[in-house]
Amino acid sequence: MMNADSSIAIAHDRFIAIAHDRFAEAGTPLGGVRLPWLESLRRDALERFRRTGFPTTKVEAWKFTNLAPLARTDFVEAIAQGVADIATAVVDGYRLTPDCHLAVFVDGRFQPALSDLGRLPAGTRVVSLSQADEADLRLVTAPPAVDDAPSARALVEFNTALMQDGVVVHLGRGAVLDPVQLLFLTRPGAAPRVAHVRNLLVAEAGSSATVVETHVGLGRGVYWTNAVTQVVVASNAVLRHYKLQAEDEAAFHTAATSVRLQRNSAYRAFMLSLGARLARNELDVLLAGENGEARLAGATLARGDQHLDTTLRVEHATARASSDQDFRNVVDGRAHAVFQGRIRVAPDAQKTDARQINRSLLLSPAAVADSKPELEILADDVRCSHGATVGDLDKDVLFYLRARGLDEAEARATLIDAFVGELLDGIEGEPAQAYLRRAFADWTRKGARP
Amino acid sequence: MLNIENLHVEVEGKEILRGVDLVLPAGEVHAVMGPNGSGKSTLAHVLAGHEGYNVTQGRILYRGHDLTAMEPEERAREGIFLAFQYPVEIPGVTNANFLKSAVNAVRKHRGEPELDAIEFLKLARDKLALLRMDEKLLSRAINIGFSGGEKKRNEIFQMAMLDPQLAVLDETDSGLDIDALQVVADGINALRRPGRSILMITHYQRLLNYVVPDWVHVLVRGRIVKSGGKELAQELEAKGYADMIKAAAA
Ligand SMILES: Nc1ncnc2c1ncn2[C@@H]1O[C@H](COP(=O)(O)OP(=O)(O)O)[C@@H](O)[C@H]1O
Ligand SMILES: [Mg+2]
Repeated sequence: MMNADSSIAIAHDRFIAIAHDRFAEAGTPLGGVRLPWLESLRRDALERFRRTGFPTTKVEAWKFTNLAPLARTDFVEAIAQGVADIATAVVDGYRLTPDCHLAVFVDGRFQPALSDLGRLPAGTRVVSLSQADEADLRLVTAPPAVDDAPSARALVEFNTALMQDGVVVHLGRGAVLDPVQLLFLTRPGAAPRVAHVRNLLVAEAGSSATVVETHVGLGRGVYWTNAVTQVVVASNAVLRHYKLQAEDEAAFHTAATSVRLQRNSAYRAFMLSLGARLARNELDVLLAGENGEARLAGATLARGDQHLDTTLRVEHATARASSDQDFRNVVDGRAHAVFQGRIRVAPDAQKTDARQINRSLLLSPAAVADSKPELEILADDVRCSHGATVGDLDKDVLFYLRARGLDEAEARATLIDAFVGELLDGIEGEPAQAYLRRAFADWTRKGARP
Repeated sequence: MLNIENLHVEVEGKEILRGVDLVLPAGEVHAVMGPNGSGKSTLAHVLAGHEGYNVTQGRILYRGHDLTAMEPEERAREGIFLAFQYPVEIPGVTNANFLKSAVNAVRKHRGEPELDAIEFLKLARDKLALLRMDEKLLSRAINIGFSGGEKKRNEIFQMAMLDPQLAVLDETDSGLDIDALQVVADGINALRRPGRSILMITHYQRLLNYVVPDWVHVLVRGRIVKSGGKELAQELEAKGYADMIKAAAA
C-alpha cells in the first residue's frame, strides 16, 4: 500500500519526464516565436515544480484539498489532440447570449471558427495567446500578485512550463466591452487529457468590461483543466469577471486567477462553482492603488463525492482601498466544500475596509464544509470584519413554509434558492446574472431528479 | 369543525398538554386564554403539525378526520391555518413568490385552477387593502425588516390569501399598539364568515373587546380548566389567573 504522498511523488516524476521530453523536442515557443527570456522562464518554472512537486496536504494552503487523485492519473496533453469538429449548436447551448462577443476554446486550443469576435468595439482586442505580443507575454507570465509559499504555487509553475494557449483580452484606454464570453469546452477522450490554459485580461485606464468565463465538459470522462489567469485593472477601470465552473463530474479543475488593481479601479468577481469531482479555485487580489475596490462573491454547490475548494488571498498594499468577500456553500451528499480566505493589510494601508463572510448550508449528515479565515492586519486605522456560519436548513423556517402548504421538497428548494439567489442578485448586468441563474436552476433540477 | 379529545402532548420528553378537551363548531370563534407557559402555543403547533410535538394520547378530529398522522402541508391544504406567535424571517424569499406557491398549492389541492401572476396580484391587492398594507410588501423578503406589528398583520394577510376553514391565531394581538390592534381586529372580523372557525389564542382580554368570541376556554398547566361565555374573559381580566392556577394545582 502506497501512501498518498509517495504516490504523488511518483506521479510528479512522471510529469517532469513528460515535460522534459517536450522541451527537448520542441522547445517552448508560444505562437511560433522563440523568446529566450520566455524559454528560460518556462524552464525555471519547471525546475521549481520539480523541486516542490504537487502540493500535498502538508502544505498549509492545501491542507483541506488532497490532489492525490489528480496526481495519480496519467494525463496526455489535450492540446495535441487536433482541431475540434464541434457543431455551433453545441457552442450555442453554453453561450451567454446569442450575439455576445465570444472566444471559444476546445481542449485548451483556440477555435476561431467557433468564436464570434468579428464585431469587437474600437480599442478592444480579444485574441489567442499564440497571437499575443511580447508585452502581453510578459504580463501573462508575471508572478502571482500575492505572495505564498512556492510549494503552494506548484500548479501555476506547471502551467507556466507547459502552457500553449489561452486568451488575451485587452481593453485600451476608455474602451468598453460588455459582455465578452470566454468559453472553454473539453471533450473527454479515451485517455485523460490535461489543458494548461493561460489567460490575460488587461483593462487599461478608464475602460470597462464584463467578462464571463465558462468551463464545461462535453460528455462524461476524466480530464484536467489547469488554468492560470492574470488580470490587470488600471486606474479608473472597471472589470466584472464572472466565472461558471461546470466541468464534467469526473473532471479535475484547478484555476489560479491573479488580479492587480490600480488607483480608483474596481474588480467585481462572481464564481459559481458546481462542476468537477475535484476543483480548486484560487483568486488572488492585490489592491495596489488607493480607492481600489474588489468585490468578490461566489457560490459553491457540491454534492455526491465532489470536493470543491475556493481559496482567496486579498492583499491591501495601499491605503483607502476596500475589499469584500461573500462566499456561500451548499453541500449535499458526501461532498466537501472548502473556503479559505486570507486578508492581509500592509502596515501603511490605513483606512482599509475589508470584509469577509462565508456561509455554508449542509444538506446531508455526511456533507462537510471547511472554512478558514486568515487575517493579518498590520495597519491600525482599518475596518476589517469576518464571519463564518455552518448549518442545515432551519427547522422552524421549513415548518413555517410547510404550514402554508408547500411540501417539504418545495420548502427546501425555496430556501436553497434564496440562499444562493441573494448572492446572484449582486451580479451586475442582466445577461450575466440571467446566465448564472440558469446554471443554478439547472443544478437544482438535476438534483431533484431521482 | 374541530374536536379535541383528551389530548396529551410531549415536547422533548416533557408533557405539556395533559388531557385537553375542546369542541369548536363550524362558524364559531373561540378564545383560548391562559397564563404564560400554560401550553397555548403548544396547542397551536400541534394543530398545525409541528414534528417536535408528540401526541402521546387522545386525538384531534378536524371535519371528522383524525389529524394526528397528517403532514403540516396536508393540513394547510385541507384548510387549517396557523398565525404564528413568532413569525419567522426568511431572507431571499419574497412574500409574493412564497404566497403564490402557497395559494396555488392550496388551490390545486381543492381542484381549483392555479392563479397566474396577474390573478394573484389582483387577489393580493384586495387582501392587502383589507389589512391596510402597502403593495410593496409583496416584493419584500418574508418578515425581513418588519416591525412586530407588521409581522402580525402579515400573518392575517396570509390568512386572507389562503382562505382557511379553520384559523388558529396565536397571540396575534401581542406586541401591537392600539392602532395596529384595531387594524388587525378589523381584518379578523372581516374574515369571519359562516362555516369558518377561528381559535383565538391570547394572554390578554384586550383583543376580545374587538373580536368578540362565542366561547372562551381557559388553559392552565396543559388542561382546559374552565369554559364559558365572553363574560369569562372579563372575569379573568378583573381577577387574573391566580385563582385558576391554584384550582388547577389543587
Ligand atoms: N420547543 C420547545 N422545547 C422545549 N420546551 C418547550 C418548547 N415549546 C414549549 N416548551 C415548554 O412548554 C411549556 C408551554 O409552552 P407554550 O406552549 O409556548 O406556552 P404558552 O404559549 O402558553 O406561553 C413551557 O414550559 C415551555 O417552556
Ligand atoms: Mg405562546
